[in-house]
This record gives sequence, C-alpha cells and structure tokens, in this order.
Amino acid sequence: MSVRSLRLPVALPHVERVERDRVVAGVAAGIAESLAVDATLVRLTFAFLAFASGAGIVAYLGAWALLPAPGCPTPRRGRRISGTVLLVWAAILTLRGVGLSDSVVWPLALVAAGFVIGSGAATFGLGVRRARVAATVLLVAGVALFVGGNVSGGSSTLLAPGAVAIALLLVVLPWAWRLARERDEERAARVREQERAELAARVHDSVLQTLTLIQKEPGDARKLARRQERELRAWLYPDREPTAGGTLAGAVEAAAAEIEELHSVRVDVVRTGDAPLDERLQTLVLAAREAMANAARHAGVDEVSVFLDADGDGVSLYVRDRGVGFDPDAVAADRRGVAESIRGRMERVGGTAKIVSAPGEGTDVELELS
Amino acid sequence: MSRPMRRVVLVDDHDLFRAGVRAGLGATVEVVGEAGSVLEAVPLIKELDPDVVLLDVHLPDGGGQAVIMQVAPERPGVKFLALSVSDAAEDVIGVIRAGARGYVTKAISGDELTEAVHRTADGDAVFSPRLAGFVLDAFRSGDPVADPELDQLTAREREVLQLIARGYRYKEIAARLHLSARTVESHVSAVLRKLQLSSRHELTRWAAERRLI
Repeated sequence: MSVRSLRLPVALPHVERVERDRVVAGVAAGIAESLAVDATLVRLTFAFLAFASGAGIVAYLGAWALLPAPGCPTPRRGRRISGTVLLVWAAILTLRGVGLSDSVVWPLALVAAGFVIGSGAATFGLGVRRARVAATVLLVAGVALFVGGNVSGGSSTLLAPGAVAIALLLVVLPWAWRLARERDEERAARVREQERAELAARVHDSVLQTLTLIQKEPGDARKLARRQERELRAWLYPDREPTAGGTLAGAVEAAAAEIEELHSVRVDVVRTGDAPLDERLQTLVLAAREAMANAARHAGVDEVSVFLDADGDGVSLYVRDRGVGFDPDAVAADRRGVAESIRGRMERVGGTAKIVSAPGEGTDVELELS
Repeated sequence: MSRPMRRVVLVDDHDLFRAGVRAGLGATVEVVGEAGSVLEAVPLIKELDPDVVLLDVHLPDGGGQAVIMQVAPERPGVKFLALSVSDAAEDVIGVIRAGARGYVTKAISGDELTEAVHRTADGDAVFSPRLAGFVLDAFRSGDPVADPELDQLTAREREVLQLIARGYRYKEIAARLHLSARTVESHVSAVLRKLQLSSRHELTRWAAERRLI
C-alpha cells in the first residue's frame, strides 16, 4: 500500500466548536456551520442516535473531545485519541442498534479503525511507516475475523454479498469522489483561464490604447483618462451600465457621460433607487442634462455633482456645482432661455424645477416629478 | 483657523498614489509612515500610533478591513478613514462596519482630504456623497426591520444624508436646515453608528446583490 492511498481522497472540512449559537458545547453548531446546514438538523441527528443504545451521546462526547475550541489550533493528543475512541464506540453502538450482528460489526470496526489510523497518521502522532503497518494489520484482522466468523458460524451466506458490496463501496466511493473533484477543478481552471484572456484583451484594447494616446496627445490626458475610467468601471461593474431596456439611472449616467465628454468636466453621479424609463422620466433626464451642461459651461468648475433619488413615491434629481453662480433675477437673456428650457420641460410633464443660485455661491438645480 | 498637527499613516499598495496623496495633503497633516500591505501596515501603525490612518479598501494581502481588525483592539485611539476607487458597495460597507470613521473616493482633492483627516481625527464621521448614496440605499424605507433604533434612519438623518449625496458640505447643510454644524455632525455620527451596529439583514443582502456605486 502506498502512502498516497492511505490518505483520504478529499480534504475534510475544517470543523471547530463555536461560541455563538451554542446550546451545550457548540459541537452541533460547529458541525452545522462547516457543513452549511441548520444546527437543529445536526442536534436532531444526535438526539435520534441517542436512541441507539445512547450512541448519540457517546458521539457527542467524542466530537466534543476531538473538535478544537473556537480559535484554538488543535486539542492535545490525549484528547484527540479519546475522542476518536468515543466516536468509534458510537459507530459500533449505532450499527448494532440498526440490527447488524456482532459478527459483522466487530470486523467492520477493525477495518474502519484501520482506515482511520492509515489516513490520520498525523493526528495520532504516529510515523507514516508505523501507521501504515498498524492500518494493514487492522484491515487484515478485520477481514479475517469477518471471514472466519461467518464461515465457522456457517449461518449467513446472505451476509457475504452484503459485505462484498460494502467493501466495494469503500473502494469505489472515494475514487469516484476524487474523480468528480478533479473534474470540477479542471473546469474551474478553464474558467479562470478564460477570464484572464478576457481581461488581457480588455486591457490591451482600451487601457493600453488610451495610454498610447495620452503619450501622443498629453493635452487631452484628462479627458482620455476619464473616458477610460468610465469604460473600465462599466465593464467591472456591469449592473451600472445603461441597459438597453432603459432605466432612469442608466439614462442619467449616460447623460452625465455625454456632458463629461463634451465639456471636459467631471460629473459625479450618486443615486439611490431606480425606475423603468418612461416618457416623463426621459424628459426629466433631458432637463437634468441641460442643467449639467449649464454647470459645465458657465460655472467655471471642473466638478459637477448629480444626485438621483428614486427611492420614495416620486423622483428627484439634483444638479449642483460650486461655481460662480448667478443672480436668477438679473440674468442675461440667453441664460434665461436656458433656465426656461429646464423649467418649461419639467412643467410640461407635471413636474417642478427650482433653481437656486447667487453670485459666488454656486448653483443648485432641483428637479422633481411625482 | 489654526489647527493642530495631525500625524497620519498612509496605507495603499500603489507607490504612485501614495506619493500623490502626500504631495496633496496640507501643511497641517504630517505623513509619519507608509505601508503597502496588511503585513507591513499592522506593526507600523501599532508602533507609530498615529492620529489617523488613511486606508485603501483593497490591499494585496487582505484589505483595509483586515488592518482595522488587527490594529483597533490594541490601539483604540487610532482612527481610520477609508480611501478607495472601489465601486463595490460591499467593500465600502465592509470597511465601515469594521470600524472606519468614513469613506472618501480617491478623486478627492488635496484640500478636501486634509479637511477629512482633521474631521476624522476629531472623532467625526466623514461621508462622501457616494457613501451617503450607499447608506440611503441600504436603509431603504419600507423594508421590515428588527430593531427600529438601529435599523431605521430618522427623517432628519435621511434629510442630512440626501444633502450630502447632493454634494453639500456640512456647513452648507447646517445653513440650509437651520442647524448648528455640531448638530449636523452628530446626525452623521449617528448614521455611522447605525451602519456599524445595525443587524439589518437588508444591509448584507443588499450589498451582495447590488454591486453599484
């Protein structure tokens, strides 16, 4: 038997007792957590097993001894051994409780002990070599006891096929399990490789191109960098990308992106909530776009803040800049026209527009639609 | 206004970005140390015991959260301000829940960052418009709540957050709502506390579901 075949085919999940949710010692909760099942299920299993001559209680004590306390690495060797003995005892009690006769249970116990010692050499502090010898002895003893018991007893030819089936299962199951794991790992590796290739392509197509452009045209660096940033963000966080079906948030983002392109300012959009885009909301977005363009053109700032609040009953959209501002009562004719194109639009769809500004105070545009 | 000198440790894995921040910070902030990973940052912060740690949300060997969790129990006086380009709400909420006093985006100007460092050092909460948007989303009205004290925002808190999301500064908010700057500050701190303590399932579910700004 090679060393490798003595190992368990898969890594066992790391189980430890937990403080939180515990009822007695946190054993059931700990097992439940690592298996990702409800703790009640684990507790019921222990309780149910307790009917098999108290196997559940013995198993619980065994698990208590064996499982590390939260945060501690591993319990002492003595504890580990007594825990394992208790667990084996519980297994024997269970099998007898299920109705298997002693002539089956004891050989099975020996075989199981052989497997445990073989696979858990480190746990028991035995050398690999000694563990291997012990395991082999136990396995052989178990099989001999079983064959001897059933042949000399001469009673159960019926049990022999069952034993063969169990033995087959013991051999085939770990192998099949390992095979499945390997297939999953391969698939995961393939997916990773695809992702890497996609990332490389993306970086090449856009980021490297932009960097080249910036080296050629340093004057446009800011604009190019911002455009690139927006593209990358849209790719990294796809649910922010304006969708084809069209949502309000998507339309506001798109309008902000357009203004950024046109006027080389930064338009920061913050939003809460969203809504499907209809005609009225489209008008709202147009009005907001106008407000953003105003801020970008006249305020003399390089940053405009937009906040979309579609959380409550209505929709509010705010466009704010910290720029030069103006006196709304004494604006030039062309500016008034712009203001009207915001206000007029909103009024046509039954909304309101409020423009608050003063020289040196920046401008605040509040658009509301209920 | 004369302000006390603040000692700052800068934790970010990009040298270039650290250099930029150092250059942008005002004269009232002294960068006493820099680290590029969790492993470097933890002992450095413990040794230097700075007023404020400017902390990148993403670090190669863990993240801002890991730094806070390892430092905070031993150095309760050190305040953390998260600094990130991340658009993922769960990252931001995660670092706040770990104990950061605020979150600002890396696009912030040097002056604003200096101001944010002072506010953090004073024990105040620092909300960028983006964080305010996250929080409003997380505490969306109408969802079932377990603990109304922690799981809901008051009308006033909501109002303050909405103004922050619109790009208002605390002083401007105070003027607009006819409150003192101190009161605005205490509302924001209350929101931060709720964000850190609320067990609102919505908060985690929402963060996992929506990876938006």
